[in-house]
Amino acid sequence: MTEQIPVTVLTGFLGAGKTTLLNRILTENHGRKFAVIINEFGETGIDNDLVTHADEEVFEMNNGCICCTVRGDLIRIIGGLMKRKGLDGILIETTGLADPAPVAQTFYVDADVAARTRLDAILTVADAVNLSTHLDESHEAAEQIAFADIVLLNKTDLVDASALAAVEARLRSINPTAKIIRTARCDVDLDQVLGLKAFELERVLEIEPDFLTEDHAHEHDDAVTSISLHSDVPMSPDAFQMWFSRLLREKGQDLLRSKGIIDMKGEDQRYVIQGVHMLMDGNLLGPWPSGKKRETKLVFIGRNLDTMGLREGFEACKAA
Amino acid sequence: MQGGVTILPPRARETEPTAIEKLGRYFDCDAVPTGAVAVGNSVYASFGDGQVRVFRPDLPMQEVHAHQGAILSMALHNSGVLTGGDDGRVLYLDADKGTVELARFAGKWVDCVAAHSKGAWAASVGKTAHLSDVEGRIHALDHPSTVGGMAFDRKGERLAVAHYGGVTLWTRGRRDWKASSLKWAGSHGAVTWSPDNRFLVTTMQENALHGWRLRDKADMRMSGYPAKVKSMDWVGKLPHLASSGAQEAICWPFDGANGPMGQKPLTLCFDGDTLATAVTALPGHDALLCGFDNGVVLYSELDPMADPRVIKRRSGAAITHLVVTPDTGWMLAVAEDGLLLWAPLGRTGS
Repeated sequence: MTEQIPVTVLTGFLGAGKTTLLNRILTENHGRKFAVIINEFGETGIDNDLVTHADEEVFEMNNGCICCTVRGDLIRIIGGLMKRKGLDGILIETTGLADPAPVAQTFYVDADVAARTRLDAILTVADAVNLSTHLDESHEAAEQIAFADIVLLNKTDLVDASALAAVEARLRSINPTAKIIRTARCDVDLDQVLGLKAFELERVLEIEPDFLTEDHAHEHDDAVTSISLHSDVPMSPDAFQMWFSRLLREKGQDLLRSKGIIDMKGEDQRYVIQGVHMLMDGNLLGPWPSGKKRETKLVFIGRNLDTMGLREGFEACKAA
Repeated sequence: MQGGVTILPPRARETEPTAIEKLGRYFDCDAVPTGAVAVGNSVYASFGDGQVRVFRPDLPMQEVHAHQGAILSMALHNSGVLTGGDDGRVLYLDADKGTVELARFAGKWVDCVAAHSKGAWAASVGKTAHLSDVEGRIHALDHPSTVGGMAFDRKGERLAVAHYGGVTLWTRGRRDWKASSLKWAGSHGAVTWSPDNRFLVTTMQENALHGWRLRDKADMRMSGYPAKVKSMDWVGKLPHLASSGAQEAICWPFDGANGPMGQKPLTLCFDGDTLATAVTALPGHDALLCGFDNGVVLYSELDPMADPRVIKRRSGAAITHLVVTPDTGWMLAVAEDGLLLWAPLGRTGS
């Protein structure tokens, strides 16, 4: 009945340019009304009644799912914001050290939040100068890249072309599906980062096939990497469902994001999936476009991917 | 058509206004309702536009501008209400006498308020509950996480504060309020005391209620709801705790020493697959009203054999709040889209 309000999650390390972007969204005359939820260490100097401070309280759910944590403060604040009318969007800033998963999971797990809002996109601001150091030094940096639907690669004016190419290659090795936008001082057209519907299943269909051609080598066991699986042979629906649900159940903690378009044997429509850890959204999404070949494409981003036997499991789901 | 009995389908049944609707009046408020409280013979309703709207029998609706932003919480206080807003203010509002600001927390939200008839009140801001005792002294009571709900016991001697991980129970001492904790994993929201003060029940972020018997802190799990419980109220002389969150009103018996432990709840007001979203007792009667997510309000006696009666027809949006005035039996039914029905229940309630 009520329209769902789009929510953009803004992540990134201190100094990457998050605050610059936030201030632009709050002050620029774009004709839209955004409520902004900033973390307790937020640097935004703007005193605005649409800015709310959050505590980043992570709640564990009692559903027995070990990676089901949600952000309790967001449930409360979003509930409060929904009492006002006329909001065009909500922007959630997280601290550089925050794990993006509980934020994303809140939109799957909490019924009230899911009914009234929809996760639009996870936007990570990365700093072209320091990203490599951040990735080497902290767990969270890779996670923020892994979760991103868009990476705003900022401060590109401060590095040379070869350094920029190296940083982008590293980004791609972690997250092959994110859209990378290069900026100097977060000078991006806001329409490119807001209202993207990146979490809608339709968007999975837009995954660029180029990114799906190869696996990326990993550096050490704990590194966040991605794996792309492809098949021209249709999948057996039963075998696939069994494999995939077991995978999420057993390896969900290490699987940060999963996305895919599945060609199920005997099914005229494309089956599309999109997941965060163990939580998954999947649906039949219209017939295969005429003139385009039917194929299965599946992308996993996570840790310890090579040890999961993903390729063998996937191969075993091919319909005979 | 052949003769005999014709059973009308639900839609046809609902084309004619009910007797209650004919006696009452509809209001359309273009704002999100956030609370409703009976104050004597009137009902105060709070909204996301910062207004309190006051309903009295046979008088026009009165609008009182209270907060700059949304009103987040409201409780009965003296001859008016206590309100907390996202403008950081705590107000005492009496529609006849005016509005007084009791506290202000700049840049913060006042998420929850509670009050007791002897004069104590509390307002929570984040993890801190600010309690004003009967002598007017303010105590800042801190909690491990953000406060989800608060309630004074029936004597005003204890304040229950729900949060993530359980409830902190503050008991009035000679000078200070002393804390003890009731633990249960998960996030707790609204909290209510049984009429005899022996039990405490919270709504959870999951689809469940949780209760404690205070004598021995025994836990009571009340689960199995298909949706979150948004509304609960104590009904009847042998009290039952009625709750929303299922396809009917789920009423847990608290008539024995063990509360509902080992007992099944009464399920009343079944109306097809529609989800119950609000419940309220009919003061002084073993009966309740139950509102649904299609706007329907049903009446039922607290009896598994009772046939529910239609008080309000479907109107689209979910019923979020239901209140009945204690002496005169006027009802305010509030729907999510701002549609309100203010009507005397008359003989239905007697």
